[in-house]
Amino acid sequence: MFNNLEIFRSAGAMARHAAQRQSVVAENIANADTPGYRTKDLTAFEVPADDLRNAMKSTRGTHFDPGSRTTAASIILGDQSGLSPNGNSVSLESEMFKSIEAERQHSRAMTIYKSSLDILRASLGRR
Amino acid sequence: MSDFSNSLQTAVSGMRAQSTRLRHVSENIANTDTPGYRRKIMNFEQVTKDGAKTGEVRSAGISLDRTELTRIFDPAHPMSNEDGYYDGSNVDLVVEIADAREAQRSYEANLKMFEQTRKMSSKLLELLRK
Repeated sequence: MFNNLEIFRSAGAMARHAAQRQSVVAENIANADTPGYRTKDLTAFEVPADDLRNAMKSTRGTHFDPGSRTTAASIILGDQSGLSPNGNSVSLESEMFKSIEAERQHSRAMTIYKSSLDILRASLGRR
Repeated sequence: MSDFSNSLQTAVSGMRAQSTRLRHVSENIANTDTPGYRRKIMNFEQVTKDGAKTGEVRSAGISLDRTELTRIFDPAHPMSNEDGYYDGSNVDLVVEIADAREAQRSYEANLKMFEQTRKMSSKLLELLRK
């Protein structure tokens, strides 16, 4: 664990993803009355490939480069059902749900980060 | 952190737009009995900066409701014509109340987003506190 602190990076990526999603949801809610606005969402969170223990290693030049796999979340169009007459597809209920999900993901990431930090501190003999 | 300040800003723009809408609704209600008054409708649009959409929202000006003005029969009124009718406003109080309630709900949704984002960022800052 201490050679390579990948858990911190994973937790950080998770928190960043949650923050990004929250930002997308805020945009949707602000535009809940804008004519022609289409609901947006973010792709699901994935642990960055090089943080995984069993990640592919390239030991020869001809090997597939594992770093080339992108794990950055991208913005996609959300559920487009329930289009209102002015062409707006935002549903406040499902946006609320998405924002709660983002908040829980964020607090989970923060908890993981904090408890890993506590373990690290304990191993240094500090409290 | 920039995502958080982005979402705070977006939520604030939503609240501002909804309160402008509420202002126009109250103008309409205040002018229900003004002869010849046409109901104002607020439009929303997305904010663009340097050609790219920022995700924020703002009011895109107002347009007037084109439905017929109500004709009120009152021969004693100074503006009435020879048949005793004059043009009232085309404000329907029930529609205005519904519009105001919708603005309030959308405002609350934006406010909730604001609170939640603030909660998330304060949790993040708590990590630094120890």
